[in-house]
Amino acid sequence: MIRLTVNGRAVEVEAAPDTPLLWVLRDHLGLVGTRFGCGAGMCGACTVHLDGVATFSCLTAVEDAAHQQITTIEGLSPDGSHPVQRAWVAEQTPQCGYCQSGQIMRAAALLAANPTPSRDEIVGEMSANLCRCGTYPRIIRAIERAARED
Amino acid sequence: MTVTIHPSRRRFLAGAGGLAFAVLSGGGISVLRPSAQAATSTEPGVPVDAWVTIFPDDRVIIRYGAAEMGQGVSTSLPLIVAEELDADWDRVTVEQVSQDPQRLFGNPAFGGNLFSAGSTSLEGYFTALRIAGATARRVLIHTAAAAWGLPVDEVSTEPGVVVHEASGRRLRFGEIVALEEIRTDVLQVFEDDLKPREAWRLIGSGVGRRDIPGKTRGEAIYSIDVRVDGMVYAAQLLAPVEGEAPTVDNDADALSVPGVIAVVPLANSIGVVADTFEAALAGRDRLRVSWSTGSDFRSADSADELAQLAQAADDFSTEPVTWEARGDAAGALSAEGRRTVTAHYTTEHVYHAQMEPLNAVASVDHDGKGADVWVGSQSQTISLAVASHVLDTTPDRIRFHAMQMGGAFGRRTVFARDLLRDALLLSKTVGRPVKLIWTREDDVKNGWLRPATVHRLDAVLDETGRLEALRHRVASPSIMQFAFPNRWDPESRRDLLVMEGTESADYAIPNLLAEQVLVDRRSRVSAWRGIGWAPNCFARECFLDELADAAGSDPVSFRRDLLRDSPRGLEVLNKVVKMSGFGNPPEGRAHGLAFAGYKATLGAGVAEVSVTEGRLRVHRFWAAVDPGIVVHPLSYVGQVEGGIIFGLSSLLGERSTFTDGMIEQNNFYDYEILRIDAVPEIEVALVESGSPPSGGGEIGVPMTGGAVANAVRRLTGTQPRRMPFDLGDA
Repeated sequence: MIRLTVNGRAVEVEAAPDTPLLWVLRDHLGLVGTRFGCGAGMCGACTVHLDGVATFSCLTAVEDAAHQQITTIEGLSPDGSHPVQRAWVAEQTPQCGYCQSGQIMRAAALLAANPTPSRDEIVGEMSANLCRCGTYPRIIRAIERAARED
Repeated sequence: MTVTIHPSRRRFLAGAGGLAFAVLSGGGISVLRPSAQAATSTEPGVPVDAWVTIFPDDRVIIRYGAAEMGQGVSTSLPLIVAEELDADWDRVTVEQVSQDPQRLFGNPAFGGNLFSAGSTSLEGYFTALRIAGATARRVLIHTAAAAWGLPVDEVSTEPGVVVHEASGRRLRFGEIVALEEIRTDVLQVFEDDLKPREAWRLIGSGVGRRDIPGKTRGEAIYSIDVRVDGMVYAAQLLAPVEGEAPTVDNDADALSVPGVIAVVPLANSIGVVADTFEAALAGRDRLRVSWSTGSDFRSADSADELAQLAQAADDFSTEPVTWEARGDAAGALSAEGRRTVTAHYTTEHVYHAQMEPLNAVASVDHDGKGADVWVGSQSQTISLAVASHVLDTTPDRIRFHAMQMGGAFGRRTVFARDLLRDALLLSKTVGRPVKLIWTREDDVKNGWLRPATVHRLDAVLDETGRLEALRHRVASPSIMQFAFPNRWDPESRRDLLVMEGTESADYAIPNLLAEQVLVDRRSRVSAWRGIGWAPNCFARECFLDELADAAGSDPVSFRRDLLRDSPRGLEVLNKVVKMSGFGNPPEGRAHGLAFAGYKATLGAGVAEVSVTEGRLRVHRFWAAVDPGIVVHPLSYVGQVEGGIIFGLSSLLGERSTFTDGMIEQNNFYDYEILRIDAVPEIEVALVESGSPPSGGGEIGVPMTGGAVANAVRRLTGTQPRRMPFDLGDA
């Protein structure tokens, strides 16, 4: 039994200690907004916050997350109104949407650490996440908007 | 003539659950009282055959037949119905059609099948949906007029309300459907009866996409997210080479992994079923399997294939398949004393790399003859047929749940049938619902690739430098023959999926010959975003720049002359030249131009590039596109931007290679798609000609190859001749 704190809530899961946090979130806890894209830390679809830091949940053993605050897309804001989420809607960013939870989590962590990032800083940070639909221009615009409006 | 009405019962009890309109093939309408037949609707009371359902509380449900894969059809198609219905868009909810036993919802552009590919949804559905919405509106107007005892022509609508302006009387749509008598004896709606364009308030407007808020909250559900009571997970050990079959040497170690339930040999794979996906993966790692060794694909090698294609493109001893012939290009090319130019271009194999790895959930009934199926499919019709075939049952036994897709790009049409088959077989074997997931490695190594192509182009320039004759020869395996054997005609051997675009229909070329030299496939081949247009326009647009030089012309003038009979083509060309300031790039950079239609959608692109220490960078990209009517501009521009990025990705670095029949790449670390740091500033201008809508999913792709290659050539003096570009060439 492993104890976790997910979106501010204490939970217990039955999983081997080396199980990727991704599967624990998705399959054991039903938080399917965190996506499986590559399992290799190459696409960022699985990005969550560990103590506020954007992290690939596919490369994180669940036991290593046990003493940290885990935040998923479902817990980013109570009602989907985080400034990044609002900006994402305003810029009409998602297409297929599959990568967008991860994109939003990384953008939110970036803005928490650096509320007024330069364009180069945005691009540098967001290079960890892939989007095959090609929503990149709108991701940049949405982060700039969130920084401006928050 | 009045519309067809059924069932015959025209009177509705006041206070009934609502009213549903179903548009039938042939343009008729049926008006139904909602009943328990709503088996495939998520909303009780919505008949399975209704485009539009209106409830007494003013809610309107509009269903759409295309499948959402990011292109925005879950908004754009219902928007068309809502426009003609004059619905209050804020009260509209949208709903995916999952199956269509009466063939009411199919795309007219795809033979009435539920099939979303090739940028055809708007083209195919536009008129049918307008008529559906207008017919529903007509019923509401007639019903309200009858209730008021007023002539129909004095009654009109505002969003969600029927109004009689003179008296100020108003009835909300919800009030009308609750009336005792619904007037369905209305005249059939024809195209001439539809709203004039200046009256549109939804089509072309800036309303947001319906699916976007949920996608920002992690609430969008794809098939990989589906959870069913009693569901177990499956991983698959797939044949290393196409066509090989497994023999299990030892499954005891796999079965000893806690949580592993079963090891199931399948035709070309082994399924490992477990309580969790991590256990299924661990069990798969411990399997000991021998594979047969007789497959012809054991010797498949992508480098050999490219060499063979290059040879075939120049081999005039084999009979090619003619795709298009105008005038006498062969005669012009063989005539004495003519100025001819020849060049070759190559494109390599590429993989779809949709972000959601292929997966399916199947729950087979205890008798093995029915199932629930959840899958993201570009064709509900095909997937349903696959499922009924696999279970040797009738389609009515398949409860198909069409899921939105985490990207598709051509990967999820027929090309995903094997995985659906295997999910069903695994569920049937273990007697429980099964979610079968491919890992990214499975997805990369079992890709159905856009085939490699080698293009040989020959041209004749007349004495004034005009293009008099063009032969565009493509050496390639046939996608149609492999992927759509039912639609492949062995007589004509025409391959739409490879050759379309080589006809260069928008250019005035008096003598044109487009032909395919068929080479046996050495990998699984399929359609990929942009289909044949991407390789074909890359080759042709590079060649045109070379011809412009040979003719002493320039890229713009040479193309303007070729577009002399295409006002729409000229318009987008001139627009992109203007917006980019073509030919006046900043110091150290160059501009390149390409014109690239995709069927009736016309586009032109300009790339601004630099090359520093062998590293190509695309700084800016301008595109002008004429897609006819733009139904939903926010989605449309996003599609064009995405297409441009998709195209740039393929020319800047994507490449699948194989040796000994095995794809060599594994994951995104060795199959690299474009990241945000390589994306240029993109500016898209929509040049609306008012033609019928002709789609936007592909148009961004075909213009990228030529525009970037031509810019590189202008900068370095060397023409890139191969996609992805090897700047060793430049």
